[in-house]
Amino acid sequence: MTGDLTTVQDLFQSRLLAGDETVRAHLTAGGPHLGVYDHAYLARLREVMGEDFPALHTLLGDEEFDDAVTGYLADHPSTERSVRWLGRSFAGWLRTTSPWSDLPMAGDMAAFEWGLGLAFDAPDADVLTGEVLAATPPEAWPLLIFDFHPAVNTFVLTHDVADFQQAVTREDDPDAAPEAISPGPETWAAWRDGDSLRVQFRPLSGDEAVGLSLARDGKTFQEICEALARSSGPVAADQGDAALRAAGMLQGWIQAGWIVGVSAEGMSWA
Amino acid sequence: MTRPGDQISGFGLGLRPQHFSDVLAAPQPASGGDGSGVDWFEIISENFMAVGGRPMANLMAVRECYPMAMHGVSLSIGGPDPLDRDYLLSLKDLADRIEPAVISDHLCWTGAHGINLHDLLPLPLTEETLDHVAARVREVQDVLGRRIALENASTYVTFTADCLTEWDFLAELTRRADCDLLLDVNNVYVSAFNHGFDAETYLAGIPAERVKQIHLAGHENNGDHIVDTHDAPVADAVWELYRKAVCRFGAVPTMIERDADIPPFADLVAELAMARRLAAEATGGAAA
Repeated sequence: MTGDLTTVQDLFQSRLLAGDETVRAHLTAGGPHLGVYDHAYLARLREVMGEDFPALHTLLGDEEFDDAVTGYLADHPSTERSVRWLGRSFAGWLRTTSPWSDLPMAGDMAAFEWGLGLAFDAPDADVLTGEVLAATPPEAWPLLIFDFHPAVNTFVLTHDVADFQQAVTREDDPDAAPEAISPGPETWAAWRDGDSLRVQFRPLSGDEAVGLSLARDGKTFQEICEALARSSGPVAADQGDAALRAAGMLQGWIQAGWIVGVSAEGMSWA
Repeated sequence: MTRPGDQISGFGLGLRPQHFSDVLAAPQPASGGDGSGVDWFEIISENFMAVGGRPMANLMAVRECYPMAMHGVSLSIGGPDPLDRDYLLSLKDLADRIEPAVISDHLCWTGAHGINLHDLLPLPLTEETLDHVAARVREVQDVLGRRIALENASTYVTFTADCLTEWDFLAELTRRADCDLLLDVNNVYVSAFNHGFDAETYLAGIPAERVKQIHLAGHENNGDHIVDTHDAPVADAVWELYRKAVCRFGAVPTMIERDADIPPFADLVAELAMARRLAAEATGGAAA
């Protein structure tokens, strides 16, 4: 490929992303209908963002939502093959970009809607049953690491945006704006029920948020127990108590269909 | 019920999430009924790549009742960046599950330097572009282990460097790359209007044996140019061009695409009956 094609394509892209008119010199009659591509690009991506963040759209209203999406798209041109992933960085962008960073419930709502979306259509995987843990030899437990269902994801919220989002989903008018979570930020999890395929979500206790984060990072059961023991503070209970709490969490995760694999390095069992 | 095979014939629709419940409530392939339903569906490939949950469950349920075609929008066959190997492998994974009759994308590019503009952007119709696209089509077909079909996209600009007509470009591309074509009759009409060429000359220049699927869709006429919007019923002039296309290409599997202002499923099925009737008239009943 010589440079002519790539040169024209670079110029065409510069026109769409930055309004550079140089490409017109390469278009018949200067490309009188070049603007159709501008419209298609922005209209399509705005439509996708509206579909992915309907509750945020309701929360902000048409004008502010459109401003936020326009600013986000300027800072984050899509690098994805599917528009499904266009909004991947929207929550983080809202939380760090003025004026949206002064309205933390906006970033919270985007994080919540994105997390529910991930849970909705993440790839399928076969989940483990409790029998697998029952068959795990005692000596393997400290070394256990866990693989999670792709639909399981977590996000941190400073406002309880769930009621507002659910009202929008039901096409009801939300009663009130989301309220700040007291005493502070809270980790939530979203996942998909394996039978109904419906999306579920709930806040996690401090312990469970720590344990889940470590488990999803590939830490062993023993490392999780040690972290839980440390997080209990000076009055804490011993390592055995932490192990019981960790085992309880694990049981809950398995019952919810969050775990798809368990293994221990260098060990195997039927 | 035995899963339908991997061939399509007759008349189909683009499968849209809004219509899953209608399709699954009463799957009635027209080939087994009164000839007024839907014979097959086309999916947008990217919507189901690396996807699970309800969307995939619905897709597989529909696939159990209907044959399918897969239509992509992000291959960027004319793009400057190297072909995305992960994308191609994901496309192949989906094809292995769906067993589509046709895997198609567009004669276009969608972005450069890792950016995806999510639009079907026009290519200069030059020997350089032809070499570039033909080599990449062969690469795609090597990965997929089968031919792909490329669709003529609607265009709103042409390039000063153009030295081939679009129909000559496509005809030569099918020879060099040994690929098939998805002929979008609405896009032929739109581009003919926008650039002042004769749509029937276009049809006459397309190698009939390579046309494996036909698209129909609605457009928006803005007076001095037409935009391919997929948000309205097929225009009368496009129906007329479709009749001529059937006369030239025969009973090619034909479908209606609707991507915006999506009407009730029954309305699209009724619109599809128009394609059925015109094709039957044009082929003396062979396409019904």
